[in-house]
Order: sequence, then structure tokens, then C-alpha cells
Amino acid sequence: MIIAFAIAPLVLVTLLIGVRGVAAMRTTSDFLVASRQVSPLVNSAAVSGEYLSAASFLGVAGLVVKDGVGALWYPVGFTAGYIAMLVLVAAPMRRSGALTVPDFAEGRLASPALRRLAAVVVLVIGGLYLVPQFRTAGLVLSEVSSTPYWVGVVIAGAAVSITLALGGMRAATYVQAFQFFLKLCLFIVPAVWLMLQVGPAVRDQAVHPVEFTTFPRDTPVVFRVPVVLDVREPVTVRDNRGHPSLLPAGPQPVAAGQSLVFPAGSAVPRVRGESPPGGPGWQRPLLDLRQAGHPLLGTWAVLMATMLGTMGLPHVLVRFNTSPDGRSARRTAALTVGLLGIFYLFPGIYGVLGRVLVPQLYLAGATDTAVVALPAQVNQGWAGTLFTGLLTSGAFAAFLATSLGLLLVVSGAISHDLLPGGLARLRATVVVAAVAVVLLALPAAGIDVSTLVTWAFAVAASTFSPLLVLGIWWRRLTPAGALAGMSVGLLASAGAIAVTLFAPPLHGAAAILVAQPAPWSVPLAFATMLLVSLRGRPPAWSWAAMLRLHLDEPPGATRDRSDLRHSTRVRRRSSAVRRAARRLVG
Amino acid sequence: MSITEPTTRTPSGGVWAEVQSSAEFAGLRRRLRTFAFPMTAAFLLWYLLYVLLADYAHGFMATRLAGNITVGLVFGLLQFASTFVITGCYVWYANRRLDPVAERIRAEIEEGRR
Repeated sequence: MIIAFAIAPLVLVTLLIGVRGVAAMRTTSDFLVASRQVSPLVNSAAVSGEYLSAASFLGVAGLVVKDGVGALWYPVGFTAGYIAMLVLVAAPMRRSGALTVPDFAEGRLASPALRRLAAVVVLVIGGLYLVPQFRTAGLVLSEVSSTPYWVGVVIAGAAVSITLALGGMRAATYVQAFQFFLKLCLFIVPAVWLMLQVGPAVRDQAVHPVEFTTFPRDTPVVFRVPVVLDVREPVTVRDNRGHPSLLPAGPQPVAAGQSLVFPAGSAVPRVRGESPPGGPGWQRPLLDLRQAGHPLLGTWAVLMATMLGTMGLPHVLVRFNTSPDGRSARRTAALTVGLLGIFYLFPGIYGVLGRVLVPQLYLAGATDTAVVALPAQVNQGWAGTLFTGLLTSGAFAAFLATSLGLLLVVSGAISHDLLPGGLARLRATVVVAAVAVVLLALPAAGIDVSTLVTWAFAVAASTFSPLLVLGIWWRRLTPAGALAGMSVGLLASAGAIAVTLFAPPLHGAAAILVAQPAPWSVPLAFATMLLVSLRGRPPAWSWAAMLRLHLDEPPGATRDRSDLRHSTRVRRRSSAVRRAARRLVG
Repeated sequence: MSITEPTTRTPSGGVWAEVQSSAEFAGLRRRLRTFAFPMTAAFLLWYLLYVLLADYAHGFMATRLAGNITVGLVFGLLQFASTFVITGCYVWYANRRLDPVAERIRAEIEEGRR
């Protein structure tokens, strides 16, 4: 039902715009050039529209329900990352003319090997970012319409890959901009409605949290992931057919997919390895990653990953090239900070309301669905259904916009940088990549969306961030240094993530440093890049490459028409600066 | 396809405008760096300070200023505001102090070319 009226229109509109996008590209030769005249405000809305993924729309509020207000550090990092990008990367990156990091890598250092390594990193970041989007689509659909988890994942994969294979979205900056304002409305209006609908008692509880210890009413819990419950008092629960059964005190394993109704007034069992919402520490504005007891380190690790990782996100960097010049790229980044700031005022509201109204989601391992679960708790009538629909639609918009951008850069990296081929190859790659992501997302139901997305940031911070910062600001960077630094950063960050996923759990500070490797992997990558570069000699043309990054083109200079259909196609620029730079070389 | 020029040209060197522009260009980059890097460090430290205070100075952060408003809340809001201030500062500095120098260098390069 909800699928029909919340998601179908959204997917249809996206498909239609995709088809129209193709038509526009074929008939209007100036279309792509015109798209470079996009104003900073529209462009920053497009950047924000592409950037606000399921992690922002749902994940942050879910983590607030589960871990406490400290989870608000995620949006702080997501936003502050744009300051680092603005100050260090935005304008020079635009002047370089490179559309993607692999382009930049080859453009600045003229090393095909570096380009291929950068393309591999794009795949890793894209995978870590795409899997949680698809996973959350599955989770949200099963929450609002009781379909199995895999149905939503497959719908998501199909919608994204069909849209892309039809060819749309590429040049459609205005679609992304529209998506941002759509998401903003679909997020703010229900938040205001919820705040007005809940009584003063709920509002009071929201600011004075108490630990979730007893069920206030008969509470159905659909377990999304297998958990071990520590049952403190024996309790008689009913399954979904109404059969009562006794849960004796002690550890009780519960399988994924099981559905239990806990009676009103019974004690809430604990989930092994998690602390219950609203407990001591929930209110503290710090992130206790993995309950390891080092909140300072945990918070700092997340901040470091998100702040430095933002500048290396491949799908965001592409957007900056629709600005006419470096100066407006800078303004775009600055406005993006403001737009994201507005959006991120609201996840906290959903989070604290969710802690009061739907704390049982923490038992189910489905706190990421807190946002869409809220309206039904407040209003059982048509209004509740309407707002559930609006929020579901917004969540799908969030995940569609991000997935489209990401899948495109991933396919671009495969079919342009790794295995060069034509447009047909690109389209086939899109479908193959989507299938791969769907397969990866199926077993990933139990991992929080924000955790996975933050891993993508950690990999970006340990690989692309040193490459971009040193490449733009340090003339002596050598291809060998960049290769070594990026390899070390990739191995360190991806290795740590693999250990977290597959090795037995660690404890204490080690657990944090492995689960969130940015505090050591980023300095390590920077140091490697610096040391290896210092041992070699920078190429003779490094001055020319630097000039191009830091001197703006005069407005109205002749520019070649370019072809943006391939995300990795680099525009040729024959400006005075370029000719002069050439003379400096020769 | 790459944005890098072929690197096989023989170096001729010694053209005055080029040397000049390189020196001035180094100045521009120094100006950029003396602003961009301290700024980035300052804003990272400012966030770190908040995390430190939240962890080690519970009492201070929980000091009530008026009603439900605590020092921690005020600091949190200040972080929000300071994010925008930092952003604005940088854009202002770049437009006022960096772009003119870049334009001058470009003009000189173009003169040298003629």
C-alpha cells in the first residue's frame, strides 16, 4: 500500500526525468556547456541533494535512539567536512578541470598507474557507501509494509540501475537541486507535525531521558537481525499468531525474522553487547563507539574520518565541476555548509522523539527505521499513514539521489579507468555493479547505516584526502609518493574494516582504532606520501601543474565544448594560463 | 585523456616573466597556505576542545546559566554559529586577498607571452 503511493510516484518521476535527460543531451548541443553556468545556490543545493543519503535522513536519528545524543557528532562531521573541502580543495579542484579523483591523479602527476589505483579506491568507497543505501531501502520497506527485507533491496537495485542504464541524471543538476528541497520539506514538515502532535508529557520525556526498562504498552518487536537477549525477569510473550510462550530468565537467542509481542509492564530484556536507550551516558554528548569506554577517542575518530573524508567522496567532487570557475566552486562549497546546517537541525528531533516513542526498535536491531516508525505511534488514522508515506518517500529520495550519483562514478571508474570501453559497456557496467551491490547488501541487514557510511569516509580520508591536499599544496609530491601513500592508506583503512567485520570482537581502545581507523590511518598515509616523495625528485613540469591549480581563468575565456557524458572525461582548456603554463614547461 | 601536457619539451628557461611569475606565484601559495592551514587547524581544534570539555569538564558544561540553558548548550550552539563564521571568513579572505594576486600574476604571464 505504502509502496504504491509513496515510492512508485518518486521512482516514476525519477525515471521520466532520466528519459528526458537523455533526450536533452541528444538534441541540445549547448546543454552541457550551459550546465556549467549553474549558479552557486542551485549548485550547492544539488551538492546537498546528492550528499544527503539514507545515512543522514534515517541513520543519524536511528543512532540517536540507540546510542544517545553523542550521535549528533556524525552530522557535525558531515557538515564540517565541507569547510575542509572549501578551504583546501574546492577551487583548485575546479580549476584543474578534473571531474574525478582518478582524473586529478593523472592530471597532476601524469601516472596511469596512479589513475588505476584511484579507480580502485573509488570502487571501495562506492561499495561502502552504496551497500548501506540499498540495505536501508530494504529495512524501511519491511518496516512500513511488512515485505521481506530482500524485496526492498531488490526494488532499490532495480530502480537505480534502470534509471541509470536509460542514461539519465548525468547532466541534470536541477534534478538533484529539486531533490534537496524535496528532502528538506519531507523531513521538516513531518518533524514539525510530530512535535505538535505529541503531548507535553512526551516532549518533557524527550528532554529528560529515562532508561528504557519497562514496556509502557503491549509492544510488538520484529527482530531484523539475530540477537541474544539477556532476560532479567521471566516474561510471557506472544508470537505473531498469538500463541503465548515463556521466555525464562537468562540469555535467550532470538532468530532474525522472529516476531514477539511483549506485554505492557514487563521488564525490557537487554540486547547483548548494546546499552539500552536513555541509560546513563545516553545524554552525554560523546560517541562511545562499540561501548568500548573511550568516548573521547571514539568521537574524535568519527570527526576525523568525516571531516577529512568529505573532500574525497567521488560523487560529490563531480558536482563541483558544474560551477563556471574556481570562485563559484568556492561559493558553492560555502553555501553547502549552510544548506546542510539547516537540514541537520532535524535528525536530533527525530532521535529524541524516537527514544521516547519507539525505543523497542533497539531490541529489533532496526533503529534506522525510527524516523518512518514515528508517525504511526502518534496518530493511527489517515494522518499517521500520510506522514509515514511522506517520510518513506523522502527516505527513498535520499537513497535514490545518492545511489544514482555513486553508481555512476563506480561504473565510470570501471568502464573508463580500469577496463576502457564505450557507452554500451558503461550501461552494462551499471547493471552489473547494481547486482553486485544488491548481493552485498543482502547479508548486511545488521550493520547501522551510519557506521557503514562512516567507513566510506574513513577510506576516503586515508587515500584521497592526502592525495588532494598534498597534490594541490605541495609541489614536490611525486607519482611514486602518491602511489605509496594511497596504497598504505587503502590497505590500512580497508584492512581495519575487514578485521571489524570478520575477526572476533576486540575490546577497549583497540576496538575503536580498528572499527574507526581514521586517527592512525590518515597520518600514516600522509607520512608515507611525504617521505616517499622527499626521496624522489618532482617532475619538471610540476610548477606548471601547480599554476593551473591556483590561477583562475579569466571570465569569458574561450573554452572548448566538452562532453560530460562520461564522468571521467576531462575537459580540455585552452586558456591563456594553459598556454603560459606550457611555456613554463618548455 | 589527461589534462597534463606532454612532458617531452626541452627546457629553455630563463624568461624573465616566467621567473617573476614563479616567484610571485610562490608568494601567492604562501599566502594561501598561511591562511588555509592555520584556519583548518583552528577549526579542528575548536571541535576537539568541545569534545574534551564534554568528556572531562562535566561540572563546567552542566553549569546552568538560566533555566535549562547550560554552558554545554551555549557552546554547542556556538559551534554551530562558528561553522558559518569560519566559512564566511574564508570566502571573504579568498575573494579579497587571494583572487587579486592570482589575477595580477595571470596578467603578467599573458604580457610575457606577447
